[in-house]
Amino acid sequence: MVRLSVILAAGTLVLAAPLADAAPPTARQWLERMTESLATLDYDGLFIHRFSSQSETMRIVHRVEDGRSVERLVSLDGSGREIVRTAEEVHFYMPDRRVVLVEPRTDAGSLLKALPAPGAKLDALYTLELREGHRLLGRDVRVVDVRPRDGYRYGYRLWLDAATAMPLRSEVMDGEARTVEAIHFTKLEVGEGVDRRALQPGVDATGFQWVRAARRPELRVAGAGWMPRRMPPGFRLVASRSQPVPGMPMRMQHLIFSDGFASVSVFIEPAPPKGPAPPESASVGSANAYSTQVQGHVVTAVGEVPAETVREIAISVAPVDAEASPAAAAPVPVDR
Amino acid sequence: MKTMANFPPSDGSTDGHEPRDGHERQASGVEQSDLELVRRVQRGERGAFDLLVLRYQHKVVKLVARLLRDPAEAEDVAQEAFVKAYRAINSFRGDSAFYTWLYRIAVNTARNTMASRQRRPLDYEADLNESEQSAVESRMRHGDTPEAAALSEEIHRTVNGAIEALPEDLRTAIILREVEGLSYEEIAEAMECPVGTVRSRIFRAREAIDRSLKPLLD
Amino acid sequence: MTDQIREQMSALLDGELAPGELGLLVRRMERDAELRRAFGNYVLAGESMRAPGGITASPGFATRVSAALDDGEVVPNATPARAPRAAARFKRPLAGVAVAAGAALAAVLLVRPGTDGGSLMVQRAAPPAMAGVPMPGGASPTPAQTQRLVGFLVAHGQYASPIGRRNAWSNALAADPGINVVYEAAEKR
Repeated sequence: MVRLSVILAAGTLVLAAPLADAAPPTARQWLERMTESLATLDYDGLFIHRFSSQSETMRIVHRVEDGRSVERLVSLDGSGREIVRTAEEVHFYMPDRRVVLVEPRTDAGSLLKALPAPGAKLDALYTLELREGHRLLGRDVRVVDVRPRDGYRYGYRLWLDAATAMPLRSEVMDGEARTVEAIHFTKLEVGEGVDRRALQPGVDATGFQWVRAARRPELRVAGAGWMPRRMPPGFRLVASRSQPVPGMPMRMQHLIFSDGFASVSVFIEPAPPKGPAPPESASVGSANAYSTQVQGHVVTAVGEVPAETVREIAISVAPVDAEASPAAAAPVPVDR
Repeated sequence: MKTMANFPPSDGSTDGHEPRDGHERQASGVEQSDLELVRRVQRGERGAFDLLVLRYQHKVVKLVARLLRDPAEAEDVAQEAFVKAYRAINSFRGDSAFYTWLYRIAVNTARNTMASRQRRPLDYEADLNESEQSAVESRMRHGDTPEAAALSEEIHRTVNGAIEALPEDLRTAIILREVEGLSYEEIAEAMECPVGTVRSRIFRAREAIDRSLKPLLD
Repeated sequence: MTDQIREQMSALLDGELAPGELGLLVRRMERDAELRRAFGNYVLAGESMRAPGGITASPGFATRVSAALDDGEVVPNATPARAPRAAARFKRPLAGVAVAAGAALAAVLLVRPGTDGGSLMVQRAAPPAMAGVPMPGGASPTPAQTQRLVGFLVAHGQYASPIGRRNAWSNALAADPGINVVYEAAEKR
């Protein structure tokens, strides 16, 4: 039977109970609670992930250990693939290839600070609306509609559990209010009692090849030489890293932008000597990507934003002089 | 009749259940046999695939009918799913149960059909558990053609009648196998007889049911 | 003799056949429609016991499927091979640039410059072809192109909001790119 069991342990749930005479929480406050819950609660659930006409059953397990999120996302539909984010690394298990890909974890710093937070500027970019919802998984829900004010970002409809603000259902919508991607939980347990062992990979990786970067990537401030000259409104640089590519004498830049809700990554790498390639775009679910060549480099923008947004960002990226760049004047310092 | 603890069906019948997390799954005899059949298909034995179709035809048709909410085209779409599975058979690597893989193909085939006809597929109902599933089915049965509904009823009565008419040891054996999902070894322990006897009893029970069903379905 | 074969069929249904018995049985059943019919009824009996009166395939279903496989000259996609319709997941393919993305992922996805990406990669068969709504745009992406996107999605997901990360990584898991290990100078465990 689908069920939602909520065990609230003292100290686990960070949400403050509203005072009896306080105003009911606004849509924005529900979003903030949701972000907080997702980051700070322990949970274990099964969900259906739908995009175009595909669907995939997945399991997600999340725990907070020593102030950091650790989580495991497993595909249950036969590929056996899973992503496990431990305290130090991200492991992508591919049992079909007997390979585990390893990326160092770089979202350093405190849990909440690392999150794209729905801040005050969010109202300029999105309208937020709160509605009553029908019950889901046997719980009362509040529905938050996040509608973009322009075509540069997607809309969201979030069904939040009234008790924990956990999103029991979330849908990403495009400019024509069509659902581009959806996640529906069919089972969710929240609170204490998530077994640490549930975070162990289900794959026996004995004999697998572990592939990892040669050196730990460094996080540093923007101004490393490339920036978009024009960004769609509201997007700010939140982090930047420069990564060595194993076996190659070249480095890759990874810039991360966010509007407080959606985020876009820009990857910059030297182009192979094969000759110029035409610009191309791709999408999977709500994620879009756009690649183009700029001055002997390949620039790719990826994010859960419409195709036009990644295209505009990618084509405006250019090498900048660190001193002259206005973006460098207001960089976002990030922790190691 | 001695019964063991209520195990989930060990014949790979995950119909209506989410395919289980690989962490907990143990390969059952049926999964092993499916895997062996798939290997044969991959080596070119078409006949082995026909056996897989025979084994999973009802599950797939039932699953697709639930998703499409229209039993009439369920068989066409189910057939398409099997054809796709056959074409893609070389990409099945045995990391999960064959039925899990087939289930996914069937779900996606059904959803593609819905999408191409601009209809929204069912959301949660594809993953109903057992009890909700039969509720949906009984609703749908009334939407069936009268002939199909009548046949379903007739099959049920015939199978039931045949089982009731069985000698007790055959009836016990077939129920422990098909309903309780016990392995031959488990049944042998429950019935305190050799495994070979279990195999023979189940076979004779099926033969009796087949003799009753044959005139109905031919 | 017939009884012995039919008893083997019953054991096959339960996954309790001895390893050596399968080959002969499959061949016999391939040739004998009556055996297949009986096997179908064994299966039906079980389904009926578990879900009485429920929906089942009609009597001729399995025969129709078999005929469809014969008629259309349906052939399994060979391994290694590239199925043409992985494109259902993509609107337009990424560029044929073979440089990889993401720290460790780069080691897997990388094709050394100056070489033809195709010849270095051993491809495995793609996931089941998806019919349905035809996609606008050009040809389907190669596994290499799909791999790039997966690499980007995983790296990007670390910085997205929890909802964004869940979507990005769910997409990465589902993209099923047939990742191939090309560059192997990584540490083994």
